[in-house]
Amino acid sequence: MMMMNGEATEAELFLNCADMSVLERQRAHLNHHHYPGFFSNSSTINGGDIDGFLASAGLDLPAVYGYTTVHGDARISVTPGNITTESGNFKKRKFGCVETETKVCNEKKKMMMMMMNREAAVEEEEEEEKSKVTEQSNKSIMMMKMKNKAKKEQNSCSNDSSKVTKDSQRTDYIHVRARRGQATDSHSIAERARREKISERMKFLQDLVPGCDKITGKAGMLDEIINYVQSLQRQVEFLSMKLATVSPRLDFNIDDIFAKEVVSAPMTNLPNTVMPPHMMVNSGYPHEMVDSGYVHFNPMQQVVASSDPLSCFNNGQSATNVWDSDVQNLYSSLGV
Amino acid sequence: MQPTSSMNKEFLKKWQMGLQIFRPSIDNTSVSERKRAIKLSADVAMASLRKGTTCWSRALIQKTASEDNFLVRQMLSGIKEETLINKKLPKVMCHRKIVRRSKKILMRRKSRSAMEEVAAKAKKLVKRKTQGLRNAVPGGEFMSNNVLLIQETLDYIVSLQTQVNVMRSIVDAAAAGIER
Repeated sequence: MMMMNGEATEAELFLNCADMSVLERQRAHLNHHHYPGFFSNSSTINGGDIDGFLASAGLDLPAVYGYTTVHGDARISVTPGNITTESGNFKKRKFGCVETETKVCNEKKKMMMMMMNREAAVEEEEEEEKSKVTEQSNKSIMMMKMKNKAKKEQNSCSNDSSKVTKDSQRTDYIHVRARRGQATDSHSIAERARREKISERMKFLQDLVPGCDKITGKAGMLDEIINYVQSLQRQVEFLSMKLATVSPRLDFNIDDIFAKEVVSAPMTNLPNTVMPPHMMVNSGYPHEMVDSGYVHFNPMQQVVASSDPLSCFNNGQSATNVWDSDVQNLYSSLGV
Repeated sequence: MQPTSSMNKEFLKKWQMGLQIFRPSIDNTSVSERKRAIKLSADVAMASLRKGTTCWSRALIQKTASEDNFLVRQMLSGIKEETLINKKLPKVMCHRKIVRRSKKILMRRKSRSAMEEVAAKAKKLVKRKTQGLRNAVPGGEFMSNNVLLIQETLDYIVSLQTQVNVMRSIVDAAAAGIER
């Protein structure tokens, strides 16, 4: 990342050069021809060399990747020839890297060809530039745009390299690799990512909804989920009905319980967290403990008070077995 | 994602708050009225656990507010009101050209093989079921895509399980109290 920043500043430097005298600009170009790295090679490349060069440059592509693009961008800021087309190419290349390696190779080759063309264009340009001083202002604006783009590119590149460790910080890039025989255009990749996401969520749902794990097929699963949600909703309806029928007394009880519970919270909550629920139910422990807290109540309230924290704060299933069997039957008739 | 004990506790606290709001009026009313009060307060308590971060909770609160605005206002005094409003989805504009083209494609599709026919049928079935799920989950029509819908369904189911667990335990406690 630091290296890239260095490159970017260099690009900026060149940009400033564009506003300077022609002589200095030419010197900058010269510097560039002697730039260490593969760009100096590219001026001497003929057709046969390209493949070997690609092999050397493209081997550890993901690691070097950010590097190379920024090199290219620095170059762009120097040569104001075919800037726009190049930038398009870089964008495409980025996509290719995400999608498939073969595509990357193709893109790389294409880029190399473009590079060679540009080398030729540079020499032509140098003569032309002497006459065209007025155009420089336009081009410098273009370069500013390019610089912005380069920064964006840097971001994406760093993202790409960090992809190995942290999978995705930004969500607008889809990190999916196409397997053999799968389509590689961006639409199909996005669609595949979406489908994978859905199936993953469906797996969670399968774990959550009882009896859903035996069903295969999306339609059946959706059916089961709908049924489950509706049964839960009906259960809530039924429970509130049942609560309403016993409510005149119960509401007061609940109020009392909670008024006391807030006061004696440390007393009641501590053993609950330590001991499993069935232990507490089977031993006479909670009654004794609650007795000490609720001495001034009548026995009916005591029972409610003692049962409530138990069943509410744990799963409630174990407590129901102990307390009431015919209510349990009612629930089972409801379908859950 | 199982309903945790802390969620149960939180729900119980909220519900208790809602019931307390109803308490003055609850004594001398009919059973159905009482039931409605209990149901509404339980729903709002469940929805307020999410603090307006999920679609279904916002939709549920909106629905309850249309029935009993006072209760909702009392119970949700801590949460900002803007967070509880579902934004309507932008209406999909159909370009005339696109519609015509898709019609053409549909016409072309009529001549297809048996395999494709079956696949299309399965797709249709899934689509219908998804619509059913949308109707079952509150606020389903606001969820823009299927991924979001399923995510919200997950969350909704967990919350419903919490609600049912707590309510059942209280009913059990009450029933035990009667038996004594």
